[in-house]
Amino acid sequence: MAITILINILRIAFLILLQSLVVNRMQPLDGLILPWIYIFGILMLPFETPRWLVLVISFGVGWLMDFFSGPPGLHMSACVLLGFLQPLVQRLFSPREGYEITQRPTVQKMGLAWYLTYAGILTFAHHTWLFFMEVLRFNDFFYQILHIILSVAATLLLMTIGQYLIYTSKNSEQ
Amino acid sequence: MRNILALIQRYYVFLIFLALQAFSLFVLFSNNNYHKAEFISHSRDWVGSIYSKRTQLKEYLMLGEINDRLSLENAILRSQLPENFSVVDTASTSQFDSLSYKKFEYRNAKVVNVTLNRERNYITLDRGALGGVEKEMGVISNGSIVGIVSSVSDHFSVVMPILHSKFQASVRMKGSGDFGLLAWPGGDPEIADVKEIPKHVQVEIGDTVITSGYSSHFPSSQMVGYVYSMDDRAEENFHRIKIKLSTDFRKLSYVTLVKDLLKYEQDSLLQQVRTLDGDNDSD
Repeated sequence: MAITILINILRIAFLILLQSLVVNRMQPLDGLILPWIYIFGILMLPFETPRWLVLVISFGVGWLMDFFSGPPGLHMSACVLLGFLQPLVQRLFSPREGYEITQRPTVQKMGLAWYLTYAGILTFAHHTWLFFMEVLRFNDFFYQILHIILSVAATLLLMTIGQYLIYTSKNSEQ
Repeated sequence: MRNILALIQRYYVFLIFLALQAFSLFVLFSNNNYHKAEFISHSRDWVGSIYSKRTQLKEYLMLGEINDRLSLENAILRSQLPENFSVVDTASTSQFDSLSYKKFEYRNAKVVNVTLNRERNYITLDRGALGGVEKEMGVISNGSIVGIVSSVSDHFSVVMPILHSKFQASVRMKGSGDFGLLAWPGGDPEIADVKEIPKHVQVEIGDTVITSGYSSHFPSSQMVGYVYSMDDRAEENFHRIKIKLSTDFRKLSYVTLVKDLLKYEQDSLLQQVRTLDGDNDSD
Protein backbone atom coordinates (compact mmCIF):
# COMPACT_ATOMS: atom_id res chain seq x y z
CA MET A 1 0.00 0.00 0.00
CA ALA A 2 2.68 2.46 1.10
CA ILE A 3 4.89 1.45 -1.79
CA THR A 4 1.99 1.99 -4.24
CA ILE A 5 1.53 5.54 -2.94
CA LEU A 6 5.26 6.25 -3.16
CA ILE A 7 5.51 4.87 -6.70
CA ASN A 8 2.56 6.95 -7.87
CA ILE A 9 4.05 10.12 -6.37
CA LEU A 10 7.45 9.44 -7.97
CA ARG A 11 5.81 8.64 -11.31
CA ILE A 12 3.85 11.90 -11.31
CA ALA A 13 6.93 13.94 -10.40
CA PHE A 14 9.03 12.22 -13.07
CA LEU A 15 6.35 12.72 -15.74
CA ILE A 16 5.94 16.43 -14.99
CA LEU A 17 9.71 16.94 -15.31
CA LEU A 18 9.83 14.81 -18.46
CA GLN A 19 6.95 16.83 -19.94
CA SER A 20 8.38 20.25 -19.21
CA LEU A 21 12.08 19.58 -19.77
CA VAL A 22 12.00 17.19 -22.72
CA VAL A 23 8.66 16.77 -24.49
CA ASN A 24 7.79 20.48 -24.56
CA ARG A 25 11.08 21.18 -26.33
CA MET A 26 10.25 18.93 -29.24
CA GLN A 27 8.00 20.70 -31.67
CA PRO A 28 7.39 18.55 -34.72
CA LEU A 29 5.65 20.41 -37.58
CA ASP A 30 5.84 23.84 -35.86
CA GLY A 31 3.82 22.75 -32.85
CA LEU A 32 1.09 21.00 -34.83
CA ILE A 33 1.73 17.93 -32.68
CA LEU A 34 1.98 18.64 -28.97
CA PRO A 35 1.64 15.57 -26.73
CA TRP A 36 0.84 16.06 -23.03
CA ILE A 37 2.14 12.81 -21.61
CA TYR A 38 2.09 13.95 -17.96
CA ILE A 39 -1.57 12.89 -17.72
CA PHE A 40 -0.27 9.29 -17.75
CA GLY A 41 0.31 9.80 -14.00
CA ILE A 42 -3.43 10.36 -13.51
CA LEU A 43 -4.47 7.54 -15.85
CA MET A 44 -2.25 5.11 -13.91
CA LEU A 45 -3.90 5.72 -10.51
CA PRO A 46 -5.13 2.35 -9.12
CA PHE A 47 -8.77 1.38 -9.62
CA GLU A 48 -9.53 1.45 -5.90
CA THR A 49 -8.50 5.12 -5.48
CA PRO A 50 -11.49 7.07 -4.05
CA ARG A 51 -13.07 9.50 -6.54
CA TRP A 52 -12.46 12.55 -4.39
CA LEU A 53 -8.77 11.62 -4.12
CA VAL A 54 -8.45 11.27 -7.90
CA LEU A 55 -9.89 14.78 -8.20
CA VAL A 56 -7.53 16.25 -5.61
CA ILE A 57 -4.47 14.52 -7.13
CA SER A 58 -5.43 15.75 -10.61
CA PHE A 59 -5.84 19.26 -9.27
CA GLY A 60 -2.36 19.04 -7.75
CA VAL A 61 -0.83 17.69 -10.95
CA GLY A 62 -2.38 20.51 -12.97
CA TRP A 63 -1.23 23.05 -10.42
CA LEU A 64 2.38 21.81 -10.66
CA MET A 65 2.21 21.71 -14.47
CA ASP A 66 1.05 25.33 -14.51
CA PHE A 67 4.34 26.37 -12.95
CA PHE A 68 6.15 25.12 -16.01
CA SER A 69 3.82 25.78 -18.89
CA GLY A 70 0.95 27.90 -20.04
CA PRO A 71 -1.01 30.67 -18.32
CA PRO A 72 -1.81 29.87 -14.65
CA GLY A 73 -4.98 27.80 -14.24
CA LEU A 74 -4.96 26.19 -17.69
CA HIS A 75 -3.63 22.76 -16.79
CA MET A 76 -5.39 22.91 -13.45
CA SER A 77 -8.72 23.24 -15.22
CA ALA A 78 -8.03 20.49 -17.78
CA CYS A 79 -6.71 18.10 -15.12
CA VAL A 80 -9.71 18.63 -12.83
CA LEU A 81 -11.95 17.66 -15.75
CA LEU A 82 -9.76 14.62 -16.38
CA GLY A 83 -9.84 13.63 -12.72
CA PHE A 84 -13.62 13.86 -12.73
CA LEU A 85 -14.01 11.73 -15.87
CA GLN A 86 -11.34 9.09 -15.06
CA PRO A 87 -13.39 7.04 -12.52
CA LEU A 88 -16.51 7.37 -14.71
CA VAL A 89 -14.72 5.93 -17.76
CA GLN A 90 -13.20 3.19 -15.62
CA ARG A 91 -16.68 2.26 -14.36
CA LEU A 92 -18.09 2.37 -17.90
CA PHE A 93 -15.61 -0.22 -19.18
CA SER A 94 -15.35 -2.38 -16.08
CA PRO A 95 -15.66 -6.15 -16.40
CA ARG A 96 -18.99 -7.61 -15.20
CA GLU A 97 -17.54 -8.83 -11.91
CA GLY A 98 -15.65 -5.58 -11.28
CA TYR A 99 -11.91 -4.98 -11.15
CA GLU A 100 -9.71 -7.32 -9.17
CA ILE A 101 -7.55 -5.92 -6.44
CA THR A 102 -4.33 -6.77 -8.29
CA GLN A 103 -5.44 -5.19 -11.55
CA ARG A 104 -3.94 -1.90 -12.73
CA PRO A 105 -5.01 0.21 -15.72
CA THR A 106 -2.12 -0.94 -17.91
CA VAL A 107 -1.86 -2.62 -21.29
CA GLN A 108 -0.36 -5.74 -19.74
CA LYS A 109 -3.16 -6.20 -17.20
CA MET A 110 -6.19 -5.07 -19.19
CA GLY A 111 -5.27 -5.65 -22.81
CA LEU A 112 -4.45 -3.22 -25.61
CA ALA A 113 -8.05 -2.66 -26.80
CA TRP A 114 -9.29 -1.82 -23.31
CA TYR A 115 -6.35 0.47 -22.70
CA LEU A 116 -6.66 2.40 -25.97
CA THR A 117 -10.40 2.98 -25.39
CA TYR A 118 -9.88 4.05 -21.78
CA ALA A 119 -6.85 6.28 -22.40
CA GLY A 120 -8.16 7.50 -25.76
CA ILE A 121 -11.41 8.92 -24.39
CA LEU A 122 -9.69 10.60 -21.42
CA THR A 123 -6.78 11.97 -23.46
CA PHE A 124 -9.13 13.36 -26.06
CA ALA A 125 -11.27 15.06 -23.38
CA HIS A 126 -8.20 16.53 -21.67
CA HIS A 127 -6.49 17.77 -24.85
CA THR A 128 -9.67 19.28 -26.30
CA TRP A 129 -10.48 21.14 -23.11
CA LEU A 130 -6.88 22.30 -22.71
CA PHE A 131 -6.62 23.55 -26.26
CA PHE A 132 -9.89 25.46 -26.50
CA MET A 133 -9.41 26.97 -23.04
CA GLU A 134 -6.05 28.27 -24.22
CA VAL A 135 -7.09 29.82 -27.53
CA LEU A 136 -10.74 30.61 -26.74
CA ARG A 137 -11.73 31.01 -30.34
CA PHE A 138 -12.92 28.87 -33.17
CA ASN A 139 -11.36 30.39 -36.28
CA ASP A 140 -9.21 28.11 -38.42
CA PHE A 141 -11.34 25.26 -37.11
CA PHE A 142 -9.83 22.58 -39.36
CA TYR A 143 -6.29 23.29 -38.17
CA GLN A 144 -7.35 23.19 -34.53
CA ILE A 145 -9.17 19.86 -34.91
CA LEU A 146 -6.15 18.42 -36.73
CA HIS A 147 -3.89 19.69 -33.96
CA ILE A 148 -6.01 17.98 -31.28
CA ILE A 149 -6.32 14.67 -33.15
CA LEU A 150 -2.60 14.43 -33.94
CA SER A 151 -1.63 15.42 -30.38
CA VAL A 152 -3.99 12.83 -28.86
CA ALA A 153 -2.54 10.18 -31.19
CA ALA A 154 1.02 11.16 -30.20
CA THR A 155 0.18 11.08 -26.48
CA LEU A 156 -1.46 7.64 -26.79
CA LEU A 157 1.47 6.31 -28.79
CA LEU A 158 4.05 7.56 -26.29
CA MET A 159 2.09 6.25 -23.29
CA THR A 160 1.60 2.81 -24.86
CA ILE A 161 5.22 2.47 -26.00
CA GLY A 162 6.34 3.64 -22.56
CA GLN A 163 4.38 0.83 -20.91
CA TYR A 164 5.90 -1.81 -23.16
CA LEU A 165 9.36 -0.44 -22.35
CA ILE A 166 8.95 -0.09 -18.58
CA TYR A 167 6.43 -2.64 -17.35
CA THR A 168 7.19 -6.28 -17.72
CA SER A 169 4.82 -8.86 -16.27
CA LYS A 170 7.01 -9.05 -13.18
CA ASN A 171 7.00 -5.45 -12.03
CA SER A 172 3.56 -4.35 -13.24
CA GLU A 173 1.97 -4.91 -9.82
CA GLN A 174 2.22 -1.28 -8.76
CA MET B 1 -31.90 19.95 6.48
CA ARG B 2 -31.41 16.24 6.45
CA ASN B 3 -32.36 16.20 2.79
CA ILE B 4 -29.69 18.75 1.99
CA LEU B 5 -27.09 16.70 3.84
CA ALA B 6 -28.17 13.57 1.98
CA LEU B 7 -27.93 15.47 -1.30
CA ILE B 8 -24.40 16.67 -0.47
CA GLN B 9 -23.41 13.16 0.58
CA ARG B 10 -24.70 11.77 -2.69
CA TYR B 11 -23.13 14.30 -5.03
CA TYR B 12 -20.07 15.33 -3.07
CA VAL B 13 -17.65 14.24 -5.81
CA PHE B 14 -19.49 16.38 -8.33
CA LEU B 15 -19.50 19.30 -5.89
CA ILE B 16 -15.75 18.98 -5.31
CA PHE B 17 -15.33 18.89 -9.10
CA LEU B 18 -17.38 22.06 -9.54
CA ALA B 19 -15.48 23.87 -6.80
CA LEU B 20 -12.02 22.94 -8.15
CA GLN B 21 -13.04 23.71 -11.73
CA ALA B 22 -14.48 27.09 -10.71
CA PHE B 23 -11.25 27.92 -8.89
CA SER B 24 -9.12 26.89 -11.90
CA LEU B 25 -11.17 28.94 -14.34
CA PHE B 26 -11.06 31.92 -11.99
CA VAL B 27 -7.25 31.71 -11.87
CA LEU B 28 -7.11 31.29 -15.66
CA PHE B 29 -9.34 34.21 -16.58
CA SER B 30 -8.36 36.65 -13.85
CA ASN B 31 -4.79 36.49 -15.22
CA ASN B 32 -5.76 37.30 -18.76
CA ASN B 33 -5.25 41.03 -18.90
CA TYR B 34 -1.73 41.75 -20.04
CA HIS B 35 -1.23 44.91 -18.03
CA LYS B 36 -2.47 43.31 -14.84
CA ALA B 37 -0.88 39.95 -15.59
CA GLU B 38 1.60 38.80 -13.03
CA PHE B 39 2.63 35.46 -14.55
CA ILE B 40 3.48 34.57 -10.96
CA SER B 41 4.00 30.94 -11.67
CA HIS B 42 6.50 31.44 -14.49
CA SER B 43 8.82 33.72 -12.61
CA ARG B 44 9.06 31.55 -9.49
CA ASP B 45 12.71 31.17 -8.63
CA TRP B 46 12.61 27.40 -8.21
CA VAL B 47 11.07 26.87 -11.63
CA GLY B 48 13.72 29.16 -13.06
CA SER B 49 16.52 27.22 -11.42
CA ILE B 50 15.27 23.90 -12.86
CA TYR B 51 15.13 25.51 -16.28
CA SER B 52 18.63 26.96 -15.96
CA LYS B 53 20.02 23.50 -15.11
CA ARG B 54 18.58 22.20 -18.35
CA THR B 55 19.90 25.19 -20.26
CA GLN B 56 23.41 24.53 -18.95
CA LEU B 57 23.25 21.08 -20.49
CA LYS B 58 21.84 22.38 -23.75
CA GLU B 59 24.43 25.14 -23.94
CA TYR B 60 27.20 22.65 -23.56
CA LEU B 61 25.87 20.78 -26.56
CA MET B 62 25.52 24.00 -28.56
CA LEU B 63 28.97 25.41 -27.74
CA GLY B 64 30.24 25.16 -31.30
CA GLU B 65 27.40 27.11 -32.80
CA ILE B 66 27.52 29.76 -30.06
CA ASN B 67 31.26 30.13 -30.64
CA ASP B 68 30.70 30.69 -34.34
CA ARG B 69 28.14 33.37 -33.68
CA LEU B 70 30.28 35.10 -31.05
CA SER B 71 33.32 35.20 -33.27
CA LEU B 72 31.21 36.58 -36.10
CA GLU B 73 29.87 39.27 -33.80
CA ASN B 74 33.41 39.99 -32.59
CA ALA B 75 34.53 40.47 -36.16
CA ILE B 76 31.68 42.86 -36.87
CA LEU B 77 32.32 44.86 -33.69
CA ARG B 78 36.07 44.98 -34.33
CA SER B 79 35.45 46.35 -37.78
CA GLN B 80 33.55 49.20 -36.15
CA LEU B 81 36.43 50.29 -33.91
CA PRO B 82 37.31 53.98 -34.33
CA GLU B 83 40.88 53.20 -35.46
CA ASN B 84 39.45 51.51 -38.50
CA PHE B 85 38.05 54.81 -39.76
CA SER B 86 40.10 57.68 -41.05
CA VAL B 87 38.81 61.11 -40.24
CA VAL B 88 38.05 63.00 -43.42
CA ASP B 89 37.01 66.35 -42.07
CA THR B 90 37.12 67.23 -38.39
CA ALA B 91 34.41 69.83 -38.77
CA SER B 92 31.81 67.23 -39.64
CA THR B 93 32.44 64.61 -36.95
CA SER B 94 30.16 64.79 -33.97
CA GLN B 95 31.56 65.16 -30.47
CA PHE B 96 30.07 63.98 -27.20
CA ASP B 97 29.40 66.86 -24.87
CA SER B 98 26.99 67.77 -22.12
CA LEU B 99 24.30 68.54 -24.66
CA SER B 100 23.91 64.90 -25.54
CA TYR B 101 22.31 62.62 -22.98
CA LYS B 102 21.98 58.92 -22.61
CA LYS B 103 18.51 57.62 -23.43
CA PHE B 104 18.92 53.86 -23.50
CA GLU B 105 20.88 51.56 -21.23
CA TYR B 106 21.67 47.93 -22.12
CA ARG B 107 22.12 44.79 -20.04
CA ASN B 108 22.77 41.28 -21.25
CA ALA B 109 20.92 38.16 -20.07
CA LYS B 110 20.87 34.47 -20.82
CA VAL B 111 17.75 32.70 -22.03
CA VAL B 112 16.84 29.75 -19.80
CA ASN B 113 13.53 28.73 -21.35
CA VAL B 114 11.60 29.40 -24.54
CA THR B 115 8.18 28.15 -25.61
CA LEU B 116 7.24 28.41 -29.28
CA ASN B 117 4.22 26.23 -29.87
CA ARG B 118 1.47 27.99 -27.90
CA GLU B 119 -0.82 30.87 -28.62
CA ARG B 120 0.87 32.69 -25.74
CA ASN B 121 4.56 31.97 -25.56
CA TYR B 122 7.01 33.06 -22.90
CA ILE B 123 10.76 33.41 -22.60
CA THR B 124 12.48 33.08 -19.21
CA LEU B 125 15.74 34.98 -18.61
CA ASP B 126 18.34 34.35 -15.90
CA ARG B 127 18.45 37.99 -14.79
CA GLY B 128 15.89 39.42 -12.40
CA ALA B 129 15.17 42.40 -10.20
CA LEU B 130 18.53 42.06 -8.40
CA GLY B 131 20.22 42.31 -11.81
CA GLY B 132 18.41 45.55 -12.63
CA VAL B 133 15.57 44.15 -14.70
CA GLU B 134 12.27 46.00 -14.50
CA LYS B 135 8.86 45.36 -15.94
CA GLU B 136 8.19 46.78 -19.44
CA MET B 137 11.86 46.75 -20.46
CA GLY B 138 12.45 45.90 -24.11
CA VAL B 139 14.38 42.79 -25.10
CA ILE B 140 16.50 42.60 -28.26
CA SER B 141 18.93 40.07 -29.67
CA ASN B 142 21.68 40.99 -32.15
CA GLY B 143 19.80 44.17 -33.03
CA SER B 144 16.44 42.44 -33.66
CA ILE B 145 13.53 42.84 -31.29
CA VAL B 146 12.45 39.87 -29.16
CA GLY B 147 9.78 41.07 -26.72
CA ILE B 148 8.90 42.98 -23.57
CA VAL B 149 9.58 41.99 -19.94
CA SER B 150 6.25 41.14 -18.34
CA SER B 151 7.19 39.76 -14.93
CA VAL B 152 10.25 39.88 -12.69
CA SER B 153 11.36 37.88 -9.65
CA ASP B 154 14.63 38.28 -7.77
CA HIS B 155 16.78 36.18 -10.08
CA PHE B 156 14.63 35.55 -13.14
CA SER B 157 12.36 37.47 -15.46
CA VAL B 158 9.71 36.41 -17.94
CA VAL B 159 9.45 38.04 -21.36
CA MET B 160 6.34 38.31 -23.48
CA PRO B 161 7.88 37.77 -26.93
CA ILE B 162 6.52 38.76 -30.34
CA LEU B 163 5.14 35.20 -30.38
CA HIS B 164 2.30 36.02 -27.97
CA SER B 165 -1.27 36.72 -29.02
CA LYS B 166 -1.36 39.93 -26.92
CA PHE B 167 1.96 41.35 -28.15
CA GLN B 168 1.80 44.52 -30.24
CA ALA B 169 4.53 46.92 -31.27
CA SER B 170 4.72 49.98 -33.48
CA VAL B 171 6.89 49.36 -36.56
CA ARG B 172 7.99 51.32 -39.62
CA MET B 173 8.77 50.44 -43.23
CA LYS B 174 12.43 51.31 -43.63
CA GLY B 175 12.03 52.61 -47.17
CA SER B 176 8.91 54.74 -47.01
CA GLY B 177 8.82 55.45 -43.28
CA ASP B 178 5.14 54.52 -42.92
CA PHE B 179 4.00 53.21 -39.56
CA GLY B 180 2.26 49.91 -38.93
CA LEU B 181 1.37 47.58 -36.12
CA LEU B 182 3.21 44.31 -35.51
CA ALA B 183 1.16 41.36 -34.25
CA TRP B 184 1.55 37.59 -34.28
CA PRO B 185 -1.32 35.46 -35.63
CA GLY B 186 -0.10 32.22 -34.05
CA GLY B 187 1.33 29.17 -35.75
CA ASP B 188 4.68 29.59 -37.46
CA PRO B 189 7.22 31.18 -35.06
CA GLU B 190 9.04 32.83 -37.98
CA ILE B 191 6.12 34.73 -39.51
CA ALA B 192 4.21 37.74 -38.12
CA ASP B 193 1.66 40.26 -39.44
CA VAL B 194 2.09 43.97 -40.04
CA LYS B 195 -1.26 45.76 -39.99
CA GLU B 196 -2.54 49.27 -40.66
CA ILE B 197 -0.19 50.20 -43.52
CA PRO B 198 -2.47 51.98 -46.00
CA LYS B 199 -2.89 50.70 -49.57
CA HIS B 200 -1.39 53.78 -51.21
CA VAL B 201 2.01 52.98 -49.70
CA GLN B 202 4.18 51.01 -52.12
CA VAL B 203 5.36 47.80 -50.44
CA GLU B 204 7.58 45.22 -52.12
CA ILE B 205 8.45 41.68 -51.09
CA GLY B 206 11.78 41.82 -49.27
CA ASP B 207 11.33 45.33 -47.84
CA THR B 208 12.85 45.84 -44.40
CA VAL B 209 10.64 46.49 -41.37
CA ILE B 210 12.20 48.24 -38.34
CA THR B 211 10.94 49.57 -35.00
CA SER B 212 9.39 53.01 -35.08
CA GLY B 213 10.84 54.35 -31.82
CA TYR B 214 7.38 55.60 -30.81
CA SER B 215 7.05 53.16 -27.94
CA SER B 216 9.42 53.46 -25.03
CA HIS B 217 10.21 49.73 -25.10
CA PHE B 218 12.61 49.71 -28.03
CA PRO B 219 15.06 52.21 -29.51
CA SER B 220 14.19 53.22 -33.07
CA SER B 221 15.55 51.39 -36.15
CA GLN B 222 15.92 47.97 -34.52
CA MET B 223 15.42 45.16 -37.02
CA VAL B 224 12.02 43.46 -37.02
CA GLY B 225 11.99 41.48 -40.25
CA TYR B 226 11.49 41.40 -44.00
CA VAL B 227 8.25 41.47 -46.01
CA TYR B 228 7.59 37.87 -46.89
CA SER B 229 4.24 37.87 -48.64
CA MET B 230 1.25 40.13 -49.25
CA ASP B 231 -2.35 39.05 -49.45
CA ASP B 232 -4.32 42.24 -50.19
CA ARG B 233 -8.11 42.25 -50.38
CA ALA B 234 -9.88 44.64 -52.74
CA GLU B 235 -12.45 45.70 -50.14
CA GLU B 236 -9.91 46.71 -47.47
CA ASN B 237 -7.94 49.93 -47.20
CA PHE B 238 -4.85 48.38 -45.66
CA HIS B 239 -2.19 45.97 -46.87
CA ARG B 240 -2.17 42.48 -45.40
CA ILE B 241 1.56 42.05 -44.95
CA LYS B 242 3.28 38.96 -43.59
CA ILE B 243 6.88 39.41 -42.52
CA LYS B 244 9.65 36.95 -41.78
CA LEU B 245 11.00 37.84 -38.33
CA SER B 246 14.72 38.49 -38.18
CA THR B 247 14.92 36.96 -34.68
CA ASP B 248 15.35 33.19 -34.75
CA PHE B 249 13.46 32.18 -31.61
CA ARG B 250 14.52 28.57 -32.01
CA LYS B 251 18.17 29.45 -31.48
CA LEU B 252 17.80 32.27 -28.96
CA SER B 253 20.45 31.96 -26.25
CA TYR B 254 21.67 35.44 -25.30
CA VAL B 255 19.60 38.62 -25.33
CA THR B 256 20.03 42.28 -24.48
CA LEU B 257 17.64 44.13 -22.16
CA VAL B 258 16.93 47.75 -23.04
CA LYS B 259 16.06 50.29 -20.40
CA ASP B 260 14.61 53.64 -21.44
CA LEU B 261 16.12 56.11 -18.97
CA LEU B 262 13.70 58.85 -19.95
CA LYS B 263 10.56 56.71 -19.89
CA TYR B 264 9.42 58.00 -16.51
CA GLU B 265 9.84 61.61 -17.58
CA GLN B 266 8.03 61.02 -20.89
CA ASP B 267 5.15 59.16 -19.26
CA SER B 268 4.66 61.64 -16.46
CA LEU B 269 4.61 64.55 -18.92
CA LEU B 270 1.94 62.81 -20.98
CA GLN B 271 0.03 62.05 -17.80
CA GLN B 272 0.08 65.75 -16.84
CA VAL B 273 -1.35 66.75 -20.20
CA ARG B 274 -4.01 64.09 -19.98
CA THR B 275 -5.01 65.22 -16.49
CA LEU B 276 -5.30 68.80 -17.76
CA ASP B 277 -7.50 67.64 -20.63
CA GLY B 278 -9.63 65.60 -18.26
CA ASP B 279 -8.87 62.52 -20.28
CA ASN B 280 -8.67 59.54 -17.98
CA ASP B 281 -7.59 56.99 -20.52
CA SER B 282 -5.51 54.53 -18.61
CA ASP B 283 -3.08 53.40 -21.30
